[in-house]
Amino acid sequence: MSEERETRLYMISPRSMLTPDQLVRMVHAFGDKALVKETCYGCLVEAPRKENLAILAKVREEYPNEVFSKIRAYRCSDPRRCRAQHGTRPGFAQLEEEWALLSKIQYGLEQVEKGAKFKPGEDRKRLDVNAFKKICEVQ
Amino acid sequence: MKIFIDPPNSLVLFDLVERFGHEPLSTMAAIQERVDNLEVDMPPMNVTLDDVVKGLKYAGIEVPSGVRGRLALWGPLIEAADAAIVMEDCPYSFGCVGCERSNLMIKYLVHRRGIPTLTVKYPETDEDAVNFVAQAKEWMEGLK
Repeated sequence: MSEERETRLYMISPRSMLTPDQLVRMVHAFGDKALVKETCYGCLVEAPRKENLAILAKVREEYPNEVFSKIRAYRCSDPRRCRAQHGTRPGFAQLEEEWALLSKIQYGLEQVEKGAKFKPGEDRKRLDVNAFKKICEVQ
Repeated sequence: MKIFIDPPNSLVLFDLVERFGHEPLSTMAAIQERVDNLEVDMPPMNVTLDDVVKGLKYAGIEVPSGVRGRLALWGPLIEAADAAIVMEDCPYSFGCVGCERSNLMIKYLVHRRGIPTLTVKYPETDEDAVNFVAQAKEWMEGLK
């Protein structure tokens, strides 16, 4: 991973009451020298990796289970990706799909914090011969 | 530990791996290298000759070029990984020749490396998600 520049994407879970505007203002208020761009799903933050990780830690402190993040390959407003400059934004369909999943993940994180444990699912059992015969007879 | 995530550009997996104290290996980092260092028009759509050669290490010459191009990005990540987390049946991860074959090749390469791997289903309900997060957390804490 590059140490010089890291562009990070922050996405707000649909279960959260936080708005992208509030998130951007909060990141600005941290006072770090980072480029912040508001988007429909959250924001993009561009800074050296060290500073970006510090911002991520502060955001996690404020909103531990509501804001999710990953790195982004292209810079903010890169003409090859930015919609404002008629870029194609080819990854957006996937982001949209994952945005819907985030509410469930947020719920999962909250429950795990409260102490929920992993419950392995039941193994599939073999079908009883008599039950199989009945199925065959019906058909 | 370095954990390879599949789908390699998943936001949820990237976030969870980082949250539980590991380094995720993702497509984004691999593409960023090309964006920053190479004068390629639009990675990953355009590749260099080196990428094509790298891809040949993981897939034969007769497979579609899209598979080789993708594996040129993901193959070195799988080789660098200490563990892997695979999410199955993602609604955005499907396709015909190039995409689906690449997905299958990823699973095969991860299996062949023999690294610790967690395979989970895409969570459809809140209960599934609780189970998924709990399982991922326990597994990643066990890796340390």
